[in-house]
Amino acid sequence: MLEEYARYIDRGTLKELESLAKELKGVKVLHVNSTKLGGGVAEILHRLVPLMNDLGIDCHWEVIRGDEDFFRVTKRIHNLLHMPGERSLSHEDILTYLRYTFENLNHVDTDPYDVVIVHDPQPAGLVIKRRRGQKWIWRCHIDVSSPDEETWKFLETFVNSYDAAIFHIPEFVREGVRIPAFVIPPSIDPLHDKNRELEEDFINSVLERFRIDPERPVVLQVSRFDRLKDPFGVIEAYRIVKRRLDCQLVLAGSFASDDPEGEEVYREVLEAKGDDPDIHVLNLPPDSHLEINALQRSATVIVHKPLREGFGLVVSEGMWKGKPVVGSNIGGVRRQVIHGVTGYLVNSTEGAAFRIKQLLTDEDLRKRLGESARERVRHSFLITRHLKDYLIVLHTLLKVG
Amino acid sequence: MPEFRFRSELWTAQYTGVKVSTLGAFLKALREVDDDTVYYHLYRNMFEYHFLPTDYWNSFSYWFAENGFPVLAEKFSALDLIECVCLSDIREEMVRILEREGHSFDKICKPFYFIRAVRRTVDLGVVARDLSEFKEGVKKVGIHSLFYHLVTSRLVHCSPVNDFSRWLTEIGEERKAREINRIDLISYSLYDLRNRIIDILES
Repeated sequence: MLEEYARYIDRGTLKELESLAKELKGVKVLHVNSTKLGGGVAEILHRLVPLMNDLGIDCHWEVIRGDEDFFRVTKRIHNLLHMPGERSLSHEDILTYLRYTFENLNHVDTDPYDVVIVHDPQPAGLVIKRRRGQKWIWRCHIDVSSPDEETWKFLETFVNSYDAAIFHIPEFVREGVRIPAFVIPPSIDPLHDKNRELEEDFINSVLERFRIDPERPVVLQVSRFDRLKDPFGVIEAYRIVKRRLDCQLVLAGSFASDDPEGEEVYREVLEAKGDDPDIHVLNLPPDSHLEINALQRSATVIVHKPLREGFGLVVSEGMWKGKPVVGSNIGGVRRQVIHGVTGYLVNSTEGAAFRIKQLLTDEDLRKRLGESARERVRHSFLITRHLKDYLIVLHTLLKVG
Repeated sequence: MPEFRFRSELWTAQYTGVKVSTLGAFLKALREVDDDTVYYHLYRNMFEYHFLPTDYWNSFSYWFAENGFPVLAEKFSALDLIECVCLSDIREEMVRILEREGHSFDKICKPFYFIRAVRRTVDLGVVARDLSEFKEGVKKVGIHSLFYHLVTSRLVHCSPVNDFSRWLTEIGEERKAREINRIDLISYSLYDLRNRIIDILES
């Protein structure tokens, strides 16, 4: 399987991964998260787990269980970790979280593993099950730089029981984290349906299906229907652009099974669209990878304008397709976009509109930034780099080599 | 003839917990952080961004530029990392620049996070016993291997001569050794460097 990546990275880099994995052969690793479908974490694990196995690591993936109540609480925790809300976690919320954590202690068997990697807050409490000799890693995929303090304190007790944590960027490492904190950005998979090369006919058929005019410029944002992704700000930016330039706006997203707010936000976005026929709000099933890929490849400019963002892998996805990205100057987005080299970083809706206009009117600029964007992803945001980072963390914690 | 074993170096990053928001605090931290932290910030761009038309050569310079210290940004970026054979020398030079050119030491800036490189060296199993095998090795190994042998090896041995040149001298190829050791690593991407080295080996 690793061989297939030789199309994108040099063979020497693959050899490095094999050499690094030699001393980890037979090590048993378990990844735990909260969903198999939807969201960046699941996407990464769908590829990372088989790749680790391919390198001789005995790697498995388990998903915790929970009903609507549990996921409402974890969504609330997720939002409160991103930014303070009107009220913090209630006692009922905490009890619900703990109740499901205890139920999952029986459901997820972590005992046979040497290393357990737990992703995000939903399963974080499982660490109380840690047995002597195991190494537990908490992988944080969200922006916890300015959270609701009480919510973070609740989570911090669990986090500090791990052997190490991994954050996307150093800004996300809270001062209360007393365990080794690795800084590892996530990645995209060039072989995934979302990123692989597509036939022109297929791309055209997708545009036709969604009634997007292939002859006119397209501004695209791909994201879950979530207030933190600021779809309303993107519509506003598009309206500023539209005063002077012709273009279409595509907002493409889906609901994740652990995100009960999605449908509500989707309805609000439809309201904000009004009767503008050039705004296309596409609610796609979570497995619409090829469609998302086609939309990204056909876009003239890709926008990613969240208010808070764990990392924003869609930025790398767009860049991988040779597109310049106009992204919020926050969190992981600013780690991907090099301002003026691979796209633009913006701090406001007006700033987004200004940069979209600049790119829509200058084809050479789009081409130059787009080429650099693809190279940047090839070096820094492909899954092979992510795999290398995990291998080094395993080496370090297990003290091999 | 002595054999040459191709190795490679791979990194990941670990936050040191040291975060500074003034130039004064930066200077203090720069004196105190470990060598792997200085190494990370000096060489990260060469490792990750070398193929892009970026403004500066290290993350210190970017922070200076972002916070209104353009002279410091330029001077740190102009440090000849290839001339320096010990991280302690580079660190001392940076401290001297800061003491000489720094100002507004208490001005509040955007935070700078000191990150440590967690490094692993791996043996790639590629061995050269003569010039021809060596050339094939250079073609075959990844760019991080070139980085290890051209950059890290000098720091490891505190030597002005890189691994490739040392071995080429041992096998009697002094001219090729000298030429490879003279290459300005900063001016080329690691891909270009590979081609440049192959040209020298074939000349």
